[in-house]
This record gives sequence, C-alpha cells and structure tokens, in this order.
Amino acid sequence: MPLTPSTRRAFLADAGRAATVAWLSLELSWLGSLEGCTREDANSGPYTGLTPAETRAMEAFAAQIFPSVHGAPGAVELGAVRFVDRALREPFFARSVPVVRAGLADLDARARALDGRRGFAALAGERQLAILRQIERSDFFKAARTLVLTGVFADPSYGGNRGGAGWSMIGIDHRPSYTAPFGYYDAQAGAGAARGSA
Amino acid sequence: MIQRSFGESETVDFVIVGTGAAGGVLAQELATAGFDVVAMEQGPWQHESDFTHDELALERELAMMNRAFEPNQTFRTSAAEPGRVTGARGLLYRRAVGGSSVHFAANYWRFRPVDFQERSLWGPIGGTAFADWPITYEELEPYYTKVDWEIGVSGAPGPFDPPRSRPYPVPPLPNKSSGVLLERGARALGLHAQVAPMAILSEARQGRLACQACGHCAYYGCEFGAKSSSLVTTIPKAVATGRCEIRADSTVHRVETDARGRATGVVYWDKAGTERRQAARAVVLAANGAETARLLLLSASAAFPDGLANSSGAVGRHIMFNGYAYTNGRFEHPLNEYKGAVASRIVHDFYDADPARGFYGGGGIDARFPSGPIAFAVDGLPPDVPAWGSEYAQALSDYYTHTVRFMSHLTSLPVPTNTVTLDPAHPDRFGRPGLCLTYQEHPDDLMTRLWFVERTQELMEAAGATHVWNQPVLPLDGGLHLLGTARMGNDPRDSVVDRYHRAHDVPNLFICDGSSFVTSGRGQPTMTIQALAFRAAEHIARFARAHEV
Repeated sequence: MPLTPSTRRAFLADAGRAATVAWLSLELSWLGSLEGCTREDANSGPYTGLTPAETRAMEAFAAQIFPSVHGAPGAVELGAVRFVDRALREPFFARSVPVVRAGLADLDARARALDGRRGFAALAGERQLAILRQIERSDFFKAARTLVLTGVFADPSYGGNRGGAGWSMIGIDHRPSYTAPFGYYDAQAGAGAARGSA
Repeated sequence: MIQRSFGESETVDFVIVGTGAAGGVLAQELATAGFDVVAMEQGPWQHESDFTHDELALERELAMMNRAFEPNQTFRTSAAEPGRVTGARGLLYRRAVGGSSVHFAANYWRFRPVDFQERSLWGPIGGTAFADWPITYEELEPYYTKVDWEIGVSGAPGPFDPPRSRPYPVPPLPNKSSGVLLERGARALGLHAQVAPMAILSEARQGRLACQACGHCAYYGCEFGAKSSSLVTTIPKAVATGRCEIRADSTVHRVETDARGRATGVVYWDKAGTERRQAARAVVLAANGAETARLLLLSASAAFPDGLANSSGAVGRHIMFNGYAYTNGRFEHPLNEYKGAVASRIVHDFYDADPARGFYGGGGIDARFPSGPIAFAVDGLPPDVPAWGSEYAQALSDYYTHTVRFMSHLTSLPVPTNTVTLDPAHPDRFGRPGLCLTYQEHPDDLMTRLWFVERTQELMEAAGATHVWNQPVLPLDGGLHLLGTARMGNDPRDSVVDRYHRAHDVPNLFICDGSSFVTSGRGQPTMTIQALAFRAAEHIARFARAHEV
C-alpha cells in the first residue's frame, strides 16, 4: 500500500524512535532510561529523583523561570518538573545532581532566613524573585534553568512539554512536514520568487 | 539489499576507511570500476526509519556524534600546555554509515578558481603555510558536475558562479522568508543574493522523495531520504555492484605495512571489541580530517617512526574549520524558519579577499535559523531581553517564529601549530590514545570574522529588521569542517599526498577527504570533498588497472 510522505513519516517516527533508542542505549544508557518516559506512567506516579521538599522548591523555581503568561501553560503545567525528576536519575546528568540538590536546599535556607520556618515554595512571589535575583549567576541557577527549559521544549516522550503545548506556545505548528509558503515574507513574494525566479 | 561480504582470509582490492562524503564516492566508483571493496565504518548502519526529530538527543547531546563516544577529547591553544578536557567545541563528526553527510546542512557551494591559486595571487602570510593547490578549478570542474548529477544537487546559476559544464540537475528548493529578506537587504545595499545550492532534492529523483520541508536537516538524518547524503546516494550504488561490503561497527586503529613499506591492510575492532584484520592490495583513507590523521599517527612503525606517510611532518597539521560570524534579527511578521531546508539564498559579493581591508580573508553569507526550540530557549534571545520570568516567556513567543540569522562562512588559514595529535593521557574506550586539538586562531581569521559581522549587520538593517543583535565573536575552538591535516602537494617535503591523493611515502596508500585540503575555501567544504573523491577514484582505478598500486 503506498503511503503518502506524511503518513509514511508518521509511521516511521514511532518505529524509528524505538530503533534509534535501542541502539543508543548501548552507548548512552541515560537516553535508554529516559525512554522509559514513553510508558503509560510517563506523567503520573510519585517522583523518585526529587524528594518532596526538593519537588516543592523545584516547582516554585520552574514557575518563576517560565511562568504561565496570559493563560498559556507555564513550565509546571507543561510537566517540566517531572522531566527534571527523571533527568536527575540518569547517569548523563549525574554531574548536575549535586549542584541541583545543593541549590534547591540553598533556596529553602535563604527562604527560612527571611521568615524563619517555611521553604522557598511558601514565600510570596516577590520574595522568591528577590532570592532568584541574588543567585542568577550561580552554577545551580544555570543548570536548573537549562533543565527546566529542556523539560518545556524537549520531545513529549521525555515527560515534559505535555502534548507538545510548549511548541504551540511559541508559535510552532508542529507537523512532520510542511509546504511552502512557510512564512509571511515568502508568501508575499509570491509563487514566482518561491521557485527561485526572482 | 543483500550486500556482498568478504571472508577474513580474502585479500580485497581496496579497503576504504570511512563511509562519509568521500568514502561513499570512493566505494561507489571503485566497485563500479570492477574492484572488490570493503568499506570500514566505526559506527552503526542506520536507515531513514531510524531517524527522528528528537532535539534533546541529537542536537543538544549530539547522540550520534563522536563526542558521545569519546567525551574525553582534549583541547589546548598551544603545544606548551597539556591537553585538557574542556568545554571547547572540539572536533565534531558523525560516527555512522554515511558519516557526517547524514547530518550535514547540505550547503553545496563549489570552490572558485581563486581558492586553488590564492597563495600565488595574494602572496605569503606570516605564521601560515598558505599554499596553492596542486590542481586547478578547471581540472576539478567535471567532478563538481559529476557530484551535482550523481547525488542530486538543487540550485540555479548566480552572478558570481565559476564556470559549470552542465546546469543543475534539480531546480531550487522553495525560497524561504529568510531568503526573501536577504534578497531585500542585498538589493538595498547594491549586493546580489542568489539561490543557495543544496544537496537536497526539490523533486523526486532516482527513486528518492523530494524534500518535505520538515525543517530538521543540520544534526538530523533525513527520514525521507531527500537529503543527498552518502547513505542514500553513493553507498546503495556501491552495494548494488555486488563487489562492495560496507562493514559497520568496525573501528580501524592501524594500517599495516610490510618490510617493503607497502600497506597490506588494516587492523580493526569489531562490534564485540574483537581485534580483526582485513587484507587489501591497497588502502584508501577517507575517515575525515581528525580520524585520518589519528589513524596515520597510530600506524607508526620502525620504518615510519613519526606515523605512516608522515616524512613531511604534515600529518595532523594545519587543521582548518572555517570561521563564522553572524547577526540575528527580528522582523515584524512571522518567518517560521523552523520549516524547510537550512538556507535558500546566499550573498557571495564578499567571496574574494581584498587587500584594501588590511587583512586576508573572504567568505559567503546565508540566511538561516538553525535553533531548535530548546537551544533558542536556553540562549537564543537578544541579550537585552530578560533570561527568565514572564517577560522572558512572552519574548520567546514573540521571537521564535520571527527571528532569522544572517551567517557568514569564512576562510581559515593553515597554521602549522594548529594540530590534531594523539593524547595518550586520555585514552578512548578501546585504550588507544585520544584526540587532542591544539588551536589558536590566526589574527587574519579573527579580523575576517569581525569584518563580516559588520556586513551581516548592515544586511539585516537594510532588510528591515525591527531588532538587530550580533553574536559575539569568540575565539574559534573547534568545528564540524575538519580540513587540511594530510594536505595535497607536489613536494613530499611539505605535503602528505600527491595530486592524485597517493601518499608520497607509501605507493599503495591513498588519502582523500577533508584532510586533503590545502586551503579552507569559504565555509562549505563537502561539495569539494566529493569532487576530489570522484577525481581521486578515477585516478586510483587507472593506477590499479595499470598495476601501478
């Protein structure tokens, strides 16, 4: 049965993903393990990389890095913290784990220094922002920011970017293939220019 | 397709090391000419159905690149320092059948006559081994045309093109918004935008699909087979001859020689790590500018104490990457540059070097947007936009589909102290010495990049961008174009191979890949690597038929 390019590609995407990861897992065990995220429990079940306290601090951190804007989902709603939880268990990110754990503990310590008892997540937004501004050049901030943003925009099979909503939010019309015109200016230039005769 | 396989006790005509841009051509041509060929590849044999759009694995973590296998590659800026594992970009290439042609962006610029004779035209440059090539554009032109028609290159003639003996076999890919804007900027400045030649099919050809504009070329394999990589062009043709075996997952670590100083074959580790041999009447190295040099250095022996074919001391020297520089711009309306091939228009008005600039260097400019959403979110926004928080989240939405990059692809000079060497202190997983890159940019290369970023800024402003920001020009510390480490030349005292790619020191050893380059060209080397390979194959076959190997 002939397949159109797009249905063929949609089929290949699933089959290909499994094959690639099967090979990669020989060399890059973290990718193979992350692939576990495609199981049905990808977006449910308890966190096992982050402790409950770390989860609370990381959720508050992620919500400040990439907040919900104009009703669009933010990092937390997109599942970025679940992505981080999984990523921290993988050998590839092993070097980042102590930095991230220490940094999350430090956020809570700074919060307690302000109000005595409660952690970073319990602070009002303005006070969270004040703490983050103090540490935004730290290794923790850079590593944790990159992890959160990766969780927002990586392939949904890794546990974040739920339903590809991260892509939609920045204007990506996520499809396996496209046809010209692609954007405003080539559409305006018209079919003549689009074929190179301009 | 069932491929021919050769037994361990068989001596084949040619063993080729590497199956990338050059190795694929050599395998196709030598097998088609009637010779028995085994082509060795250290990575796996993947197919279109194995390829995905997974930005995290392929673009961020470079899962199919050498660094995933050898994260301990070292870097230094001079031989006085020890090599260190750093954050340097280093030597980047794919380990898989098809080599880096699988993930290349497919920019297929030809060199021009000036690229082969620039030392004569310009004169000497201090601190470099700037030299003419032993061949001319006119000699290579038939092979450029052969590449166009054999693998499928799309394009249309431009005002500065060198002479060509046949038109392009495939019409241009659709112009993108980035190309329309580059044309607009060029017109306003009196410059000339032209169609970008791309090794991507714009229409179905020879059983392959046309480009589906999925937007995943650079760092990705093409799941449609529309990108003209070795994987879907030369390698299937080589296998179809019934005289070529592609031996994947086989890491060659030594070229063996006999008492007469002739190559007898290669030693390699198979997938299980078992050491094996493949005997051959002649050996052809096409493993790229990093691995070819490493293999020659690893093949040192009593007869060749400084490495095989290295009496000149030029093996591993003069590595060139092609400098780059770019300006980013945001436009009022969406461009949606995440769709389509990497580039559709280029500007070649500044190709030639000009003494009036006060330094040597030239290049070409294209319009592109190579950032996936993760990369763009991490560091793609302008420096005056917040890096986190609600303004940042809003800016990502405002910029991602509206942003484009005008990027220059530039000359790099051959500097003798810029080298690829063995690093025994950092062995790889097999225990062989790792790769050390020693690199310090020549001052003229840096000046070229700074000069070009002014040109791209002018173009971006002339194109009407509402927000323009330049990428800072930082010292180059690696790259994907691995050029010059076993250079061609007529004089055995300062080059590794002759004008036919035969090693000066070993009569039945041929070397043809990016390492053969004498100068860097302007940014897009693969077209020239393949033209050299077609030409080399013709001569190697001629020698073999005349029993001159």
